[in-house]
Amino acid sequence: MIDRRELLGRAGLMAAAAALPGPALAAAQPDWFAAVGDVAGDIAPHALSRIHGRAPADLAGTLYRNGPARFRLGGTAVGHWFDGDGLIRAWSLRDGQASLRARFVETVKRRIDSKAGAMVQPGFKTHGRPGAVVGSADDTNAANTSVIAAGGQLLALWEAGSAYALDPETLATKGPVTFKPELAGMPFLAHPRIEPDGRIWNLGMGGKRAFVWRLSKDGKFEAGQAIALPMASYAHDFTATARHLVIVLQPWVQERDVLPFADAMVWRPELGTKILVIDKADLSKRRVFELPPLFFFHLGDAWEEADGTIRFDGCFDTDASFVSNAASALVEGRFVRAEKPMLKLVTLRPDGRAELGDAGITAEFPRNDPALAGLARSRTVHVGGYRTDRPFARSIGIWDWQSGRDDAHDFGAQQIVEEFVPVGRWLIGTTINMAVGATELHVLDARRVADGPVVSWRASMALPHSFHGTWVAA
Amino acid sequence: MMIRAALVSAAISGLFALATLSVPAPAMAQGAAAASTLTINFDGIKTPTGAIMIAVFDSEAAHDKGGKPAHVAMVKVAAATATGVIPGLAPGRYAIKVYQDVNGNGQMDSNPFGMPLEPFAFSNNVVPQGGPASWAEASFDVPAGGGATSISFR
Repeated sequence: MIDRRELLGRAGLMAAAAALPGPALAAAQPDWFAAVGDVAGDIAPHALSRIHGRAPADLAGTLYRNGPARFRLGGTAVGHWFDGDGLIRAWSLRDGQASLRARFVETVKRRIDSKAGAMVQPGFKTHGRPGAVVGSADDTNAANTSVIAAGGQLLALWEAGSAYALDPETLATKGPVTFKPELAGMPFLAHPRIEPDGRIWNLGMGGKRAFVWRLSKDGKFEAGQAIALPMASYAHDFTATARHLVIVLQPWVQERDVLPFADAMVWRPELGTKILVIDKADLSKRRVFELPPLFFFHLGDAWEEADGTIRFDGCFDTDASFVSNAASALVEGRFVRAEKPMLKLVTLRPDGRAELGDAGITAEFPRNDPALAGLARSRTVHVGGYRTDRPFARSIGIWDWQSGRDDAHDFGAQQIVEEFVPVGRWLIGTTINMAVGATELHVLDARRVADGPVVSWRASMALPHSFHGTWVAA
Repeated sequence: MMIRAALVSAAISGLFALATLSVPAPAMAQGAAAASTLTINFDGIKTPTGAIMIAVFDSEAAHDKGGKPAHVAMVKVAAATATGVIPGLAPGRYAIKVYQDVNGNGQMDSNPFGMPLEPFAFSNNVVPQGGPASWAEASFDVPAGGGATSISFR
């Protein structure tokens, strides 16, 4: 199957392709295309159909999730999975019933694109088009990666600009958050590290500098400080122990000053991976560890042992080909063969040595028990079942580093499994059922994941693949 | 993602380090007969405080490579519009960078990563694309006898 893009590429006509109408799409859309589909507009609250099982009596609250849900407009398309507009989904459970409402974050980016009738704003790997306005990073903020709750509001998180505040009931957008006037527009990652009592640590990445944020559990600014980094690495995530920030610096580094962002980055494996461990109480106290070259998006919570050994796990590739190539192809409905992300354990010894251990399973979207954040733990919730012939995950599991076993459930070839969030003894998350063309909501018992969902509901439509979210108990 | 924020800040504010806050005496043109007056009409001002700091460049090298402006001026802001007058310009091609010093501290405030915190704009109303406007986009002619141009803050 030769698609138009390949044909034109081989004929050396890529420049001409840019002028042709319509986004480049594979000749026939793959069965997983709903994962990168467009949602036409906000979704009014409606009940879901329960397809089997019974909801646990003690489970009442809302699973909020965020993910890109508008990729195309007026014959143009964004150039990367990460550049679609954020759609906040609220999956609410009450009295055994489930309901869904969803609302786009009303970002400056979305407004500019809508007004232009095309995806004009540049992004992670989207080139600006005529009509683009980029006076600040927040002009390109898609607010599409995660959503957390703090201080009675929701925060839609992106990474290269501000968090966006939302109303938790109506999901209405309140606007970008400025924690202090002089910090307006500073970057704020989609993966803050939240201590068990709720204090929030986060980073904002800026080339060879990072900004360290410390917020109260109510999302109020407590402290902020810029720190120097040994490499201008792309970092989507970082981790923390109770006492340290742990910043993994991979050798995908910014070497140019151009837009879109990914075009500024170069894979430099000869630099290896550097891990910066910083004292939370004194950011000037730091140690650097070295590992072989790795690429990662996501890390698990870290912990420190009695002798000072620090451990954390993460989902790693050995190069940047997914982020720099395959994730662009997804939006076009093309699967480019990329590595399967593997679950590994990083150990940082007090004598300065660093080690990497393998779980031997594919894994992504790791989540841990929030009550143990920064404390000794052995279990990691993860999606898995990645294959070499198609994208996305098909199973959910809990890996235990102590037992070396994975308690997993395979949803089957027809399902795309998204991140599951641990809530007490339950796991809650969504899948895209390709066979019926609908997104499903599932609850599993975390002690018996292999038994599959204890209850499942089905929405009336398939929503595109979401990234990250949070549970808020009623 | 750095939107070349540091470049924008430096491009606009750095040059003002070379200028005093007071409006300088009219530049001495080569011949009094050749000097023109440029009127700049500003609109779209969101916060009616402080002053608009104006830097007028007369060459691509100065404008694009962080060189000195040929003229600087300051216009106090008290409304959504303001007018600046640059006297003594020789007829020719110019480009203008401005920012509004909203808090009157004499500099273009930026966040720790160099992103401008105060409004800025360019002649020809060049739409920012993640960096400062280029001479090619922002330059315009000031004829003998002077002229007027408009700059809108977004």
